[in-house]
Amino acid sequence: MPWFLHLALRQLFPPGKRFPAFATVSILGVGLGVASLLIVQTVMNGFGEEHRLRIRESFGDCQVTGPAPIERPEALAKQLAASPEVSSASPYAEGPALARNGDFSGIAQVRGIDPSDPAQPARKYVYGGSFDELDDGRIILGVGLARALRVRIGDRIEIWSPAMAERAEKGKAPLPAEFEVCAVIQTGFTEVDNAAALIPLRRFREIWNLGPRAHGLTLRLKQPALAEATAGRLAVGHPELRFRPWQDIKKDFLAAIRFEKTMLFFLMFIITLVASFSIGSTLFSAVIRRSREVGVLASLGAARWQVVALFGLQGLLIGALGTLLGFVLTWTILAFRDGILGTINRLFGGGDMVANIYQFSKVPLHYDATDFVIAAAFTLLTTAIAGLVPALWAAGRKPSEAMRDA
Amino acid sequence: MPDVVLQARGLAKAFASPAGPLPVLTDVSLEIFAGESVSIRGSSGSGKTTLLQQLGGLDQPDSGEVRILAPGAGLVAPRSSLGRGVGFVFQNYQLMPELTALENVALAARIAGAPSESATADARSLLTQVGLGARLEHLPTKLSGGECQRVAIARALVNRPSVILADEPTGNLDERTGAEIMDLLLGVVAERGAALILVTHSREFAERAHRRFVLSGGVLTPA
Repeated sequence: MPWFLHLALRQLFPPGKRFPAFATVSILGVGLGVASLLIVQTVMNGFGEEHRLRIRESFGDCQVTGPAPIERPEALAKQLAASPEVSSASPYAEGPALARNGDFSGIAQVRGIDPSDPAQPARKYVYGGSFDELDDGRIILGVGLARALRVRIGDRIEIWSPAMAERAEKGKAPLPAEFEVCAVIQTGFTEVDNAAALIPLRRFREIWNLGPRAHGLTLRLKQPALAEATAGRLAVGHPELRFRPWQDIKKDFLAAIRFEKTMLFFLMFIITLVASFSIGSTLFSAVIRRSREVGVLASLGAARWQVVALFGLQGLLIGALGTLLGFVLTWTILAFRDGILGTINRLFGGGDMVANIYQFSKVPLHYDATDFVIAAAFTLLTTAIAGLVPALWAAGRKPSEAMRDA
Repeated sequence: MPDVVLQARGLAKAFASPAGPLPVLTDVSLEIFAGESVSIRGSSGSGKTTLLQQLGGLDQPDSGEVRILAPGAGLVAPRSSLGRGVGFVFQNYQLMPELTALENVALAARIAGAPSESATADARSLLTQVGLGARLEHLPTKLSGGECQRVAIARALVNRPSVILADEPTGNLDERTGAEIMDLLLGVVAERGAALILVTHSREFAERAHRRFVLSGGVLTPA
């Protein structure tokens, strides 16, 4: 080990002191800065990923619609599913309806789906009951809607569609459609859980008088990230249809998430910068306090670059250890995030904002290695500069002056 | 005739002051031979420390030049022989507070380019020679003033310099410890064949040197 590295380590961590003040405070400052940066980034990534997944699972990787309901949706689905880029294609229909169970009622967003499609995303979110029991007489409800209607698996509910109003206008008795609840789903996306009602597409067509038509097609792609390019290729030969990739369906929303993440990175980076400046200022004080030692090192024959390395390395070591501490703090705080948030909510009475406002059952996370690499690189760079400035000042002094001024 | 180990010619140094340049050294010339000891006395502010800094290369004179014998390189400018051609002993010891006695001495050898193992071995041997064989792993805060100065002497000698520059080495010590340190310094320097330039207030210690000078009015005169 070079002597200046050995001395730098000793000056940072003097023997006999478990928590030397300068090193402890500096490393903690950098660690907290890095942790703030990464926690915000990781949670923002989580929100972004969660929103992107919800969008894809609610609307498909690509949605095919027309100016009017699609006349022969099964044939079109078969044709599109033959494309090597498409995993599956299934027609759907959707519309609002009144769901009722005796004295309890709620607005349901009814969606007609193909129960035999193994790629149906609802299969992943079954909370109780069985998806495979879905047939013409059965319905799957979102957990929030099931609670609002006070129903359990096996209970029966009525669905009143707008088409029934047409029957009433024609003087016919508007009879509701009756279903037995065969499953309850919980997606964690409150907007979906409080309104979703899934029935077979065939039954939807009957209740809504759609005939063989469907409102659109949902495509699952082999590479969802490339949905924009794939949608463009699939649209060729179908000028009457609109192919909307998932990125386009909630374009503004996704752009807002990205912008929010960038802004938060910028703001959080300032925290790390402040921590680095405080290291620079503390290191400057340390260098001034050690002026005599700088002079002594010169009298022992130390080269200027070695004096620069001695103090510059201290900044870098603080940066490296602070970054490491920041990583550990990030992981620890995020591992207990729901408990921490719950405590904050209990203390300040904020309610469960994650569920109520952001519509997730828990704080979402997504660790992105790039964020960690960028945070580490920025922190090491700023702390190295913070250490280098006083180091250059110290090395530039005349040994005689350094020894006299101390 | 012994070799010349230090040669200073026409050294002059002035410091800036609000009233204009304040001359400290006006015309100092000096020649020191191997194994020789020289003492320099003078009142406070007479420029003794300034002279020592010019001789050792810690500062540049305004005019004149200094040459020091560096092992294997002949007479060279003192700045390029720091740590090898010249060793310093300061009044306040100037040890690194975070390093043990052994590490403090080994540090000087490491800076001069010695590998870690031989630097430690040399440091251990020298510290034993100055009577600190049982204090190798002690930090300076755990050593007495006299012990710290012994460490500083060992540090000055570890690279076998041709000249030792000692600036008031007994200034912070009591009379008895000061006398012990002077005995040690003169003995160990002579044993290693180095020359010694001793700056001191003490007439008694100054008298023990082979040659004696007084610095007054920026000029060095034989005592």
